[in-house]
Amino acid sequence: MKTALINGSPKVKSSNSGILLEDLKAYLVETEAVEFGLHTGTAAKEKAEALNQADALVFSFPLYVDGIPGHLLSCLADLEEASSKSKGIRVYGIVNCGFYEGIQAEPALQVLQNWCEKAGYVWGGGVGVGGGGGLAQMPKTKSGHGPREPIEKALKALAEAICSEHVQGDQQAQDHQQIQENQYVSVAFPRFLYKLAAQMGWRQMMKASGGKARDLGRRPEGGED
Amino acid sequence: MKLIITDLENFKVPVEGDYKIIQPQGNIRNCIGCFGCWTRTPGRCVIHDGYENTGIDMSKCTELIFVSRCYYGSVSPFVKTVQDRAISYIHPDFVMRRGEMHHKRRYSNVIQLSAYYYGETVTDAEKETARKILQANADNYDGRVKNIYFYKSAEELEGIRI
Repeated sequence: MKTALINGSPKVKSSNSGILLEDLKAYLVETEAVEFGLHTGTAAKEKAEALNQADALVFSFPLYVDGIPGHLLSCLADLEEASSKSKGIRVYGIVNCGFYEGIQAEPALQVLQNWCEKAGYVWGGGVGVGGGGGLAQMPKTKSGHGPREPIEKALKALAEAICSEHVQGDQQAQDHQQIQENQYVSVAFPRFLYKLAAQMGWRQMMKASGGKARDLGRRPEGGED
Repeated sequence: MKLIITDLENFKVPVEGDYKIIQPQGNIRNCIGCFGCWTRTPGRCVIHDGYENTGIDMSKCTELIFVSRCYYGSVSPFVKTVQDRAISYIHPDFVMRRGEMHHKRRYSNVIQLSAYYYGETVTDAEKETARKILQANADNYDGRVKNIYFYKSAEELEGIRI
C-alpha cells in the first residue's frame, strides 16, 4: 500500500503542515509513505500521475480565510482533470488553524470532501487542528503528554483508519463513502494563554522589522478609519 | 462603495451605484504565509503585483461581492487568492466573538457580504459548504451576510443587477 503525504502549505520548508505530516508518518505502519509538495498554483502532469498511483492521499494544509489556500485550490482543479476516476483512491485531510478551535476548519474539510466527489475519489475523513499556529514552538514530549497530545491522538486515529481501510479493501471503502467522522481538536494549552502568546509573537515580529507594537494597528494611507 | 471580486475577465453584470472591481489582470501571486501584511507593512500585502491593496479597498466598502465560479463549494482559485492576500483588512490580534476566536478589527466599517456563484454542476453539498464559508467570512471580517445566489452560467448573471 502506498500513501501520498501531500504538503499543501505555500512554505517549502518549516511549515506547520509539514510538522503534522511528520507526526502522522510516525504512526503509519505497513504502508509506504511518499512525500509530495503542492506549494505553488499548479500541479504538474507528472505529479498528478504519480498521485494517481497511490492508494491513499493525505492533504495537510493551513486554513486560509475559512477555506483552502488559493494555490492549493488551483492544484485540486488540476488534479481533478488528471484523475483516473476509477481506482477508489481514498483521501484524507489535515487542516491547521491559527484559531484555537479546530472546528473552524470544518468548511475547508468539506471543500476537500466535495472535491473527492467531483474527482472520483473516496473521502476518508479529516482532522481540524486548532491552535496550530504555535506547533513549531511546542516541544514534542513523550507520547501521551504535553500540549500536542490531543493532536497526536487524533493523528494516530487517522493513521489507524488509513491502514485499516487498506486491509478492508477497495470495494468496501467505496461502499462506505465516509469511513470515519472528522475529528476537531485543539492544543492542550489554555485558550487565553494561546491568545496572549500570539499577541506577544506579533509584537516580536513587528520589533524585528524595526517597527513598534502600535504599528500593528496602522491604517495605511488611503485606508478608512 | 461596493467592492466586487470576480474571476470573470469580461465582466458584463450591471452594477447599481458606486463600485470598484478586482478581476484577473496579469498573473496573481499566491499568499506565502509570511505575515508581512501584519508586521512589515501593516495593512498592505508585501507582494507587489497589483493585488496588494485589497485590504485597504475593503476598508472603504460597505458591500463585498464575490462573483465567482463555484469550486467544490469555495470561490475560484483567483478570487480565493485575492482574499488570501487581503487578510490585512483585519488586525493580527485575536478577540473572542460568540465563544470563538477571531481577529480584531483594524477598521470600523461593517461589510455586508454577498456571493454570486455560477457553474453548471454545483451540487447541494457544495451549496451548503458555500453558505457556511460566506457566514464564516462574515464572522471573521466582523460583518454580515447579505445574500448568496447560484446560477448555471456566467451569461445568466448578465440578466441581473447587483
